[in-house]
Amino acid sequence: MHSPENPFARDPHLCSDHAGEGPSIWNLPGLPDALRREWLALETRRHFLGRGMQALGWAGLASLLGRPLAAQTAAGPAVLGPHYAPRAKRAIYLFMAGSPSQFETWDHKPVLQRMFDQDLPESVRGGQVLTGMTASQARFPIAPSIYKFAQHGQAGHWVSELFPHTARIGDELCVLKSLHTEAINHEPAILQLTTGNMFPGRPSLGSWLSYGLGAMNDELPTFVVMTSKMPHRTNVQALSNRLWSSGFLSPEHAAVSLRSAGDPVLHLNNPPGVSGDVRRAMIDGVNALNRQLFERVGDAETNARIAQYEMAFRMQSSVPELADLSSEPQSTWDLYGEKAKEPGTYAYNCLMARRLAERGVRFTQIFLRSWDQHSNLPRNIKLMAEESDQATAALVTDLKRRGLLDDTLVVWGGEFGRTCYSQGVLTAENYGRDHHPRCFSMWLAGGGVKPGLSFGETDDFSYNIVKDPVHIRDLHATMLHLFGLDHNRLSFRFQGLDQRLTGVLPAKVIDGILA
Amino acid sequence: MASSPDLPRFRRRLALGILLAALPLGAETTFYQDRIGPILDRHCVVCHGPEKQKAGLRLDSFAWVMKGAESGAMVLPGNAAGSELYRRITLPAGDDEVMPTDGKPLLSREEIRNVELWILGGASATKGVAEFPGAPALGRPKPAPVALAPDWRPRADEIRRLETELGIRLVPRSQQAGDGLILRTAGSPRRGDDATLARLAPIAELIVEAELARTPVTDAGLAALGRWTNLRSLDLSRTRVTGQGVAALASLPHLEALNLTDSAVDAAGIQRARAFPALRRLWAFGAPGMVATEARP
Repeated sequence: MHSPENPFARDPHLCSDHAGEGPSIWNLPGLPDALRREWLALETRRHFLGRGMQALGWAGLASLLGRPLAAQTAAGPAVLGPHYAPRAKRAIYLFMAGSPSQFETWDHKPVLQRMFDQDLPESVRGGQVLTGMTASQARFPIAPSIYKFAQHGQAGHWVSELFPHTARIGDELCVLKSLHTEAINHEPAILQLTTGNMFPGRPSLGSWLSYGLGAMNDELPTFVVMTSKMPHRTNVQALSNRLWSSGFLSPEHAAVSLRSAGDPVLHLNNPPGVSGDVRRAMIDGVNALNRQLFERVGDAETNARIAQYEMAFRMQSSVPELADLSSEPQSTWDLYGEKAKEPGTYAYNCLMARRLAERGVRFTQIFLRSWDQHSNLPRNIKLMAEESDQATAALVTDLKRRGLLDDTLVVWGGEFGRTCYSQGVLTAENYGRDHHPRCFSMWLAGGGVKPGLSFGETDDFSYNIVKDPVHIRDLHATMLHLFGLDHNRLSFRFQGLDQRLTGVLPAKVIDGILA
Repeated sequence: MASSPDLPRFRRRLALGILLAALPLGAETTFYQDRIGPILDRHCVVCHGPEKQKAGLRLDSFAWVMKGAESGAMVLPGNAAGSELYRRITLPAGDDEVMPTDGKPLLSREEIRNVELWILGGASATKGVAEFPGAPALGRPKPAPVALAPDWRPRADEIRRLETELGIRLVPRSQQAGDGLILRTAGSPRRGDDATLARLAPIAELIVEAELARTPVTDAGLAALGRWTNLRSLDLSRTRVTGQGVAALASLPHLEALNLTDSAVDAAGIQRARAFPALRRLWAFGAPGMVATEARP
């Protein structure tokens, strides 16, 4: 089982996390030969053959720029390319973590205005199990939105008065009112949207795109995440890299997260006295050692490490250029607002998302938290809308005027809906809303989606879907479709299954929203 | 900013009109030709046709269908429930015997109903569509893919060599070879200069999209691009190209999308671009021509 020349196979009982001294994965005792062969083949295919001509093209470019060719090919992602011609080349996902209420944003329910403080009919709720936060309430008093709605544009979308800027770009938006999920708490619900599964450990949407399509610009990460400063902090959900990890895909498909304060990426500058050539020589040396390690141990993580050193080196020049906003014309600040000059704000992140899109970054995910309004909803949702409305609309407008919206998909939304009844005390001025998984609203723009469309309907209480339900799996299948990927065919063999973003339950592309 | 009415829809209508006008009157297509043949072609013939005859069965003509497989008849006229063909296509997904097999998409409810009605109606080769008034319409079949460019695969070595020498990327738009290549410079915009474009002339017919944003390309380069006859989409944003240079693109018969954002193109150049034969989307935000237009009272 353990070849004598393998110094890493001294003791089969050591765990692999003991300073690299453990057995390699293909030396595990009792591993069937067939599985060992499959695993080896997998590594080989992933790293050398899968990219076809692109791998060779990239290797050629690498050697041209004086980079070690072997490191490039060994660490390159398994690019297969779109199954069919794509409509979208990139996506920007504006994730409103905590879940904005559909009642104050996109799902106008005028009937509720006449039902203030009446009890939610039992027939509507249909015996649904509620969260622990409201299950013990004596009654479920209906809380109509205190914010007014009006129709806007040719499309005639009903938009809440909280979003005057977004209302003006309504004709670009495809509003989905019939999303639904099984998750009733934030963590599993956010995971389901970001990775397709409520359990942590799966590759995220951006990682699947990186795996399936590869990079458009090797100088920048394929997948970038930014978190935003909050205008207030109530019930804030923790975010961590499990939402943008690559799961069982090779680690170079994970997102690089840009920091919200200070330098976007730490330690990018060489220390005093270290020149670029010295840095290059150091990385070449480390990579050579890592390649030796890979040859002996065969752990894909080693290749990912090589890729990360290379990416960090390239970002030494690409990130300062990316973050230098001095060349932005006044029209940019007029559009996004002065707040876009302050790093880490949502507005700044939106502007960065446009700059990343211009530079060919495939997937940018911006998180804005603190939409979880169990109480004091009227006050707090207003703060959140004021923080984000102008920048959101600015991003779509900017992409459109620069010709980027055509092939950039923009997604806006949270992880579930909220209840039509008040959590806690209902007054004429104040109320809260609990989590509600059965329906919620999102919108999409650009990237091959029908503009100006309202898709799906809920009942008068926005409690149940009455037309065109869209599961998160359907949303994912549709997003992949827009990128030219068939969600049934974009797979990766792991633990004996051809794993997919959409999993094993039925998922369908929402034909009705395709332009 | 982008421009003209919905031309493709108009063209589709026009094409449909011509098609309808061209159909010979009185020669009604049979139900088999119109419905059953296409269903079998779409789902079955890849394994039961001229290439492969799994289980000794071919389904690529009426005669083959009625001949059946090694095991016997597939279709019992008038008896859908007893027909092996019908039984196989109506098994639940995941059943060992369901057809199509290997996870290929199953027949839609409408397709199954058409097959059922056809068998119940006697599995005829000659009955017309009008004799099956209850048959649900089938979803429009996917149009046959139109090749936008010649197959690049035979020239892969040449393409690789150019990528290496020029420091640009030539990426297939999709796994369909007829979708052509993208000229991509996002990772190395400085390499997308006039000399590079000149060097790409031998494979220019394979390139369907050219991403030249932020490159040093000039009007001289556009003169070369004017001979890339299969170009559909061209991004020249943040380049120094002018309205004079844009004139060279008028010869491109398929150019649908042109991005001149933050270029040096003047109002005359934008006017010129608007007149391009196939152009449907044009952007010129930040270009002098557009700024002047916007500033006009």
